[in-house]
Amino acid sequence: MSTNVFAKTVRGFTSALERTLVSEITAHESGLLQSLDPRVKLVGLLALVVAAALSRKLAVTAALFALGVVLALASRIALWSLAKRVWVVVFAFTFMIAAPALFLTPGQVLYSLPFGGLTLTSQGLRSTVLLIARVETAVTLSTLLVLTTPWMHLLKALRTLMVPVEIIALLAMTHRYAVLLMETANSMFESRQSRLVGRLNGHEHRHLMVNTGGVLLSKTLDLGNQVFLSMQARGFRGEVYLLNDFRLRGWDYVAMSGFAVAATAAVLAGR
Amino acid sequence: MPESLSFDAGKSEVLEFEVENVRYEYDRIPALQGLSLRVRAGECIALLGANGSGKSTLLRLMDALYFACKGTLRFRGTALTEAAMEDDAFALGFRRRVGLVFQNPDIQLFNPTVFDEVAFGPLQLGWPRAEILERVHATLAWIGAEHLKDRAPYRLSGGEKKRVALASVIVLDPDVLLLDEPTAALDPRSQSQVIDLMESWNNGKKTIITATHQLEILGEISRRAIVLEHGVVVADASPDEILANTELLESANLIHSHRHLHGGLTHKHTSPYLRHEHRKPD
Amino acid sequence: MHIPDGYLSPSSCAVMYAASAPCWWQALRRTRRKLFGRTLPLLSLFAAFSFVIMMFNLPLPGGTTGHAVGVAVAAIVLGPWASMLAISLALAIQALFFGDGGITTLGANCFNMAIAGSFAAWGIYQLVSLGAAPDSRRRIVAAALAGYGAVNLSALLAAIEFGVQPMLFRDVTGAPLYAPYPLSIAIPAMMAGHLTIAGAAEAVMSAGLFSFLRSNEPALVGITSMPVQAASPTPRRLWGALGVVLLLTPLGILAGGTAWGEWAPQDFSDAAARARIAAASGQSAPPVAAPSGLARLASLWTAPLPDYAPHFVKSAAFGYLLSAMFGVGMILAVTWILRRAMQYANQRSRQ
Repeated sequence: MSTNVFAKTVRGFTSALERTLVSEITAHESGLLQSLDPRVKLVGLLALVVAAALSRKLAVTAALFALGVVLALASRIALWSLAKRVWVVVFAFTFMIAAPALFLTPGQVLYSLPFGGLTLTSQGLRSTVLLIARVETAVTLSTLLVLTTPWMHLLKALRTLMVPVEIIALLAMTHRYAVLLMETANSMFESRQSRLVGRLNGHEHRHLMVNTGGVLLSKTLDLGNQVFLSMQARGFRGEVYLLNDFRLRGWDYVAMSGFAVAATAAVLAGR
Repeated sequence: MPESLSFDAGKSEVLEFEVENVRYEYDRIPALQGLSLRVRAGECIALLGANGSGKSTLLRLMDALYFACKGTLRFRGTALTEAAMEDDAFALGFRRRVGLVFQNPDIQLFNPTVFDEVAFGPLQLGWPRAEILERVHATLAWIGAEHLKDRAPYRLSGGEKKRVALASVIVLDPDVLLLDEPTAALDPRSQSQVIDLMESWNNGKKTIITATHQLEILGEISRRAIVLEHGVVVADASPDEILANTELLESANLIHSHRHLHGGLTHKHTSPYLRHEHRKPD
Repeated sequence: MHIPDGYLSPSSCAVMYAASAPCWWQALRRTRRKLFGRTLPLLSLFAAFSFVIMMFNLPLPGGTTGHAVGVAVAAIVLGPWASMLAISLALAIQALFFGDGGITTLGANCFNMAIAGSFAAWGIYQLVSLGAAPDSRRRIVAAALAGYGAVNLSALLAAIEFGVQPMLFRDVTGAPLYAPYPLSIAIPAMMAGHLTIAGAAEAVMSAGLFSFLRSNEPALVGITSMPVQAASPTPRRLWGALGVVLLLTPLGILAGGTAWGEWAPQDFSDAAARARIAAASGQSAPPVAAPSGLARLASLWTAPLPDYAPHFVKSAAFGYLLSAMFGVGMILAVTWILRRAMQYANQRSRQ
């Protein structure tokens, strides 16, 4: 596991940085969801996520999933990328967690395994399938939000959910510096790796990892103080102001009613 | 406020900054040790000094981000103290008139997009919305960065970052501009872009104080050069005089004489910048 | 232990948002009042740091790797209120912009990791390091325990949230609608991974970061505290608060305890099945050992009970629950003993 841990961590950073880039590109495509006011999109997609979470019927969950696929297609999001980023990952993860429930849920026996005395129950099957379908649907819908909205628009749209303006400023800054710190950490690891001679044992590895974290933390704190100075220098007095210029257009009202109808129908049908 | 664009700068007899015997310490490590300096309105000054000579500290004191431990620092007659900066009216007036561009643009660019970055200052000063939009667009056009307005700061190149950082301060149209190493770590083209921007903005009316250790830009950015060493002023003269004083530059660690071996012969030369003198006609 | 969308019922999510909201509000109010804006960048930067540190793969003894959250360092440097905001921000960024962890479950995740985690970490650190010299080893132990305790409390809370789902939400046929495992499975499966791997990762990272900070940024973690930090509360109040947390945990579970009866005990006493569950529900912590240690503790509990004891007390589930509680209690006890021992040593050396 010598360079493994570094490589794994660096891969994590690269893929996260890549994701921000991909969302920035897809968010500027001309598609259905991209054309909507971010507030409408935020509230609308969230309503669908909640409807998916409320649904107790597989058919309704499946319908919501299908709606997600249609929205993705109409927003020029390649299905294979959605499959790679969401569907496969979510399925693998959820199935791993839910699989034992197939046998552990008491109920009507469908099939007895020839070994171990395990029985597959209809309740277990239902429960597992419903869980996987629901998680897939919810994650698909929320990923659509991320993929079709420039994230600072998404941020400002949070105002409509009564998120305080300070929190929005904090989120904006957190995201901005998370990217910077990821890049910093990445280059720290890369320079470490380039100077690494021989194999390290677990303890040395741990030590290196923790130390890198420490250096990153002191950089973080220094950056925090400096950023505060630079905010002060431009008149920051502890109050946060944001400039919002979203304007609802006719199309947004259509979309709003569309979301409302779909979510309400799903909630009613899914009971 | 934007109405006061013609604040009473430009008259060269007005004293902009009076720095008197200022001392500043970080955790008992002195950065400035009794530094004195006078800056008249409309001057273009270069603060020269090696790393750790106190340039950045001085700029931060002049921008009322740090406060002198001893001595006084006045801006247009008013001492810059913590108490003075707690007064909202004074503080906002000061922030509007004095702008500081930080060396590291990652510190300066803390907003999610370029547009928000440039709009940050005006928003803090409470300008009317329409005014902000207009000024921000004008400033972005001026730095040639309109196409970047929705870009996140981490998607900018080094030169673009520097220009946006400059725009984020200049949008307020301050009378005094403090610049910390504006051209450090830039490629030659970005470097000259930044210098051109500073010159086109200045127009002879503004006070500009630039901290740098790059001697090659001295002639373009200043009419007066001040050399700092260990937190005190060791020289204060015209850029030409400073550049001619090799001994001074060497002792202030601004140039470094070194020996080369050319075909068995050794010869000594100091800095290539000394021969590189092209001043723009005034 | 990020809970993704879909595992908790919307009503549970709403409850968790409702539980988090007053804490956030209070935290925002306190940090705003204390710092006139300096917190704003510091909080964001700490949140960004926590976001990044969650991506560090930390090699652990035994050949596995784990991830830390950074909650203990945040709590020690920023104090519990600012820390809970910082960690919440990191979780929100993950959920909103990177699609990790759910949006509907954000309230629950923040409650478990940011809010309860910050309080636990801060409390444990204050308790263990009480009266310790700035350069004493005890402070490093305190930081490690703070991380360990915080992560395990977070995991326990998440497990409880999972575990109540099948009790409360089933369809007409009795099939669970959300997370399918009852408390008796959810708690040991979750805790097995956290008492070992995730807890160790957090402890190692907390201790390491703390000692790094102490030698490089002593002002942040030493006796001279940041302006953000609240004044140290009296130890009595701290013990009181921890006691309440400890008491509330099982009470909440006992309230819904009847659901256990429906589960055949052999389902989770079967070693193979249990191993699978443990591996599966250990979430982000990869290879999870079968909770054999917990099982032993469980039988330890049930064995000496007389036959006429109420049925549920004898159930393995109850044993698991108690062993989980026992884990938390043990942390506290060790904490207390360590503190006493060190105080005693200090007094001796002064005399």
